[in-house]
Amino acid sequence: MLVTWKYRPRNTFIQRLDPRTRLIFLFSVIFALTIPEIWDFRIILPLFAVSLTLYLMARIEWKDVRRAWLFIIVFVVFIVGINGVLSGRGGPSSVTNIESPILFYVPLLRELGWKVPITVSKVWFALNQIVRMLTMAILAIPIPYTMDPNIYGTAFKRMGASDNFSFTMDLAFRFLPTFARDFTITVDAQRARGYEMEALKGGLAERIRRLAPLIIPVVMQSTVTGEEVIDAMDLRAFGTNKRTWIKQLHYAPRDYFILGLGAAIFIACCVLKWGFGIGGFFVPDFFTNWLVG
Amino acid sequence: MSTSPLVVENLSFKYRTRPELAIEDISFELKQGELLLIAGSSGCGKTTLARCINGLIPRSYRGARKGRVLLNGREVADLKIAEMAQEVGTLLQDPERQIVASNVFNEIAFGPENLGLPREEIVARVERAMRRLNIEYLRERETFNLSGGEKQKAALAGVLTMNPSILLLDEPLASLDPASAHEALAVFRSLADEGKTIILVEHRVEDALAAKPDRLLYMEDGRIQYLGPIRDLPPEIDYTQVKLPAQWVVKRVRAEKKPAEPPTSPKVKKERGEPLVVFEDVDFRYGDEYPLILQNVNLTIYRGDLIAVLGPNGAGKSTLVKHAIGLLKPTRGRVLVGGQDTRKMSVAQIARSLGYVFQSPTHMLYASTVQEELEFGPRNLGFKADDIAASVKESIATVNLKGFEEYPPLGLSFGQQKRTTIAAVLAMRSKILVMDEPTAGQDFANYTRFMEALCKSSNGSQSILSANFESTVFITHDLDLAVTYANRVLLFGDKHIVAEGKPEDVLKDIDVLLKYRVRPTSLLHLNLELLPQTGGFLPAESLAGFAL
Repeated sequence: MLVTWKYRPRNTFIQRLDPRTRLIFLFSVIFALTIPEIWDFRIILPLFAVSLTLYLMARIEWKDVRRAWLFIIVFVVFIVGINGVLSGRGGPSSVTNIESPILFYVPLLRELGWKVPITVSKVWFALNQIVRMLTMAILAIPIPYTMDPNIYGTAFKRMGASDNFSFTMDLAFRFLPTFARDFTITVDAQRARGYEMEALKGGLAERIRRLAPLIIPVVMQSTVTGEEVIDAMDLRAFGTNKRTWIKQLHYAPRDYFILGLGAAIFIACCVLKWGFGIGGFFVPDFFTNWLVG
Repeated sequence: MSTSPLVVENLSFKYRTRPELAIEDISFELKQGELLLIAGSSGCGKTTLARCINGLIPRSYRGARKGRVLLNGREVADLKIAEMAQEVGTLLQDPERQIVASNVFNEIAFGPENLGLPREEIVARVERAMRRLNIEYLRERETFNLSGGEKQKAALAGVLTMNPSILLLDEPLASLDPASAHEALAVFRSLADEGKTIILVEHRVEDALAAKPDRLLYMEDGRIQYLGPIRDLPPEIDYTQVKLPAQWVVKRVRAEKKPAEPPTSPKVKKERGEPLVVFEDVDFRYGDEYPLILQNVNLTIYRGDLIAVLGPNGAGKSTLVKHAIGLLKPTRGRVLVGGQDTRKMSVAQIARSLGYVFQSPTHMLYASTVQEELEFGPRNLGFKADDIAASVKESIATVNLKGFEEYPPLGLSFGQQKRTTIAAVLAMRSKILVMDEPTAGQDFANYTRFMEALCKSSNGSQSILSANFESTVFITHDLDLAVTYANRVLLFGDKHIVAEGKPEDVLKDIDVLLKYRVRPTSLLHLNLELLPQTGGFLPAESLAGFAL
């Protein structure tokens, strides 16, 4: 059986929105930033402000999302930020190509004498990339906590997906917390056998091998859960007819407002980039001046 | 002419992967509104028979089937899945396996939604099913937050909305506490009285009798050994294979003129050993904003104790024992293991003196061989190679898994997996053994064998438990385990210990037991009746030697 996220009904504007509206708006922002490849802080910052406003309007308690935030911040800052600074990859080629004052070198693999130059451009790019990722992430973080798990499937169905796909999404949403629950039980069970995660020593291969006592039981458990769900669905005639989805969804004026806003953001980004050439990566003078004086 | 809801004729089935027949030459017929109890130990063929009836055979399980299964006159193999689901509603052993939706209303509506019925019709059916089972109050609840009994009612309501003429209930009591099981049985009876044909597959015959089955079908080795009314104990039924009322067992032992089983070694030690684990004024909650789960718990576990922890689901039994291993630390008060505060010890340090066996083996088994699995604990604790080898060898012999050293643990039967988990703890040479629901998921014959292997001493030698552990604690729903094996009982309810002491003292207060959802069994009643003669609780076979 699958468990659900820490969803709780709240009387907020965000939770009164149709789930489709929220998914479509999320994708509008993601596509607006990625399809026309927007890297201009003058566009990213206002979008970040919109996302942040919507996030705050969801009024989620900090204790609920603490872990999610920790994960997102570690992911965005370390993976994206450091990757951006060190290699400049993941962004437009101008990041690594343009002449930019070098701030300092990071010695990597000292024996080979390989030093990575950190330029003003790379630092600005990393900052932009972090804000850009957060703009998308903070729209997604509240969804599991503020969207009724009962309407995941219906939302996809009403957006035109097939019965199978919609129910798959419904189950997939709930799979992660189930996985987390099984993982906690297994960690406890192995700790009771003297296993200490802190004591993971040795090289990468050895460390992975040492993780087997946690990973194997959880994977086995997930496989069994998957098979159980399939049997249970078969016994109740899933997939034999065209399905009736009992929950109904209706757009309200507020939904049209948010959908309109999403469409406007997407169109504006496309027009700015392709029509006026605004939105590409550049390092503003104030930043260069501030760093190199 | 009215047709029977179910006709099974000369049915045999052999799984493609196995050489022998799983069931052989089964024939019977059910009338509308009849409640049939199918009993037998694992491997007797009852699950295969159930799969032939609900159509999973031949659809999902391949093999050679002979004979016929007719549902309202139509052959099962010829029905479409959607038709099948409306003829036979199956309630699986564990309601958790059956529930697919995240709230109760959606769960109940799931089947009719799949049939593509009009929305109004679905709502009407869901409402009817909820009213029928009195669970309207659960409508908007999340399914994973329900209690075991509530989950089962939600699952049953989901089956009822398909309007099946036959209900197939596959060990529906397995995951319920005794009081919820009793309520479920009353519901099954009333559904039969309303005209549903019900097949109840259950090895706990004693409990199932509460549903007043019209007939009993008893199976062994894939064949029907007995099919007929349940009045007394029909001689075809082996009392060691299924759980029967204690009086029946006593009668049978006497009739067979077997020597009454001598009582197992004196369970109650005269004086107490030194304290091993001490709970001092323990409170626990998960965080400031959460309610208390343990409140003012005081408990000392002494050397020589064999403690059964009883109490309703969700009362905090598992939380209590997790404090002993240090997985949880008290919010207030302290827990001492071997005289040391658990707050100052790591779980690994505590594991040297206290071994904890989790309920489900699949949550901990991971290695590619049993040998490797058992080496895991001692190696974590830093045993020397020689000691590891000796310890593993000894524990394999102890739980009777010799010859299985090179088998993958996950490929073993459930009972063997369970024994592997005990051996894994044995190999760590912990002094105290803690088991969460040691018999869960096993049938009567298997768990009796398992508990006897652990607790019973033979020919003057000590039992596995007393030879290897200074003390044992097990959580259980099965009152008879406490009656038969424990020398101390702890009744847990309302966040604290409600009653504690020798089984004879704690379990005589029937009102308190009922208040905390522990249902007295026939074995308890019989033992209480004979207590002046026996001086202590005994298993049913041993009671045969005393005058009733």
